[in-house]
Amino acid sequence: MASSRHMKFASLHDVELCGFAALGERPAFGELVRRHGSAVRGVLRRMGAPPAEADDVAQDAFLTAFERIAEFRGEGTFAAWVKKIAARLYLRRLQRERKLGALSAEAIEDDPPPPRADADATIDLDGALKALGATERLCVTMCFGAGLSHTEAAEALNLPLGTVKSHVKRGLDKLRARLAPDGDAVLEGRRGNG
Amino acid sequence: MAEIEFERRLERLFAEAPELADAGPFADRVERRLDAGWTARRWLIGAAGVVGGVIGASQLMVSNLFQRVESAGDSARALTNGLNHLSTSTDWVSAVSSGGVTVWAAAALAVVMMGFVLTRVIGEI
Repeated sequence: MASSRHMKFASLHDVELCGFAALGERPAFGELVRRHGSAVRGVLRRMGAPPAEADDVAQDAFLTAFERIAEFRGEGTFAAWVKKIAARLYLRRLQRERKLGALSAEAIEDDPPPPRADADATIDLDGALKALGATERLCVTMCFGAGLSHTEAAEALNLPLGTVKSHVKRGLDKLRARLAPDGDAVLEGRRGNG
Repeated sequence: MAEIEFERRLERLFAEAPELADAGPFADRVERRLDAGWTARRWLIGAAGVVGGVIGASQLMVSNLFQRVESAGDSARALTNGLNHLSTSTDWVSAVSSGGVTVWAAAALAVVMMGFVLTRVIGEI
């Protein structure tokens, strides 16, 4: 019976599933979790969360999304909406555990690591992200993975906007060096508009 | 231009998150937590309804309802008798003759309605 309900929801579009979820249909929301759970967990892991913690936060994010499903207007994608919720929850957790201050105070590396010889052949975003400092990684992933603007990221991180932009720019420079070693221009952090 | 292209490429890379091996069990865990939360909420609403009902019933007891009902029943009987004197042939008056029972039934209905409304209000909250 339960599996037939899952089958019924499996063919529906995300927006339709959100409509059912707003009416309290938990299996419909379960289908959304099945579709986007990996993406949300992936963003959290790329922000630097250990897998177990990423899963915890992702679960909380989906539960929060279910509680607030009526607020989702379908202006962006459901996955993007949950990713934003998850990113904010993770930052709140870091703040609670007083880890965020330590990240913000970390030394900024001035020189990007040398590009890998095989970067053209293997596009390994996760590997490239590891070359970033913790705060750079957070800022880049929040802006490009979770879809937050610079301003939203600055508010969530409780950092000045200029600092966030600087972290994003440095992070992008390093990523470009890793992912596109033959690139010709220095990147500007242009995500969001302040 | 190049930087914009790279940013788009980066967004695509972020969007292409690989499906994790335990995606199904993860979704099941979330659904179980949703169900658990829902069950807890239903229990809470039920308990609140029972507490509300008990408080309502105790308030009715405290306010000497039974005496008032008896006196209302007496009044209804007196009224019926008076009406019977006025017109012995009207059938509808006989329906009121069991005055006490009618008042009790109305009170019971009112209590049921109160419980229903209370439960709905708590449920909406």
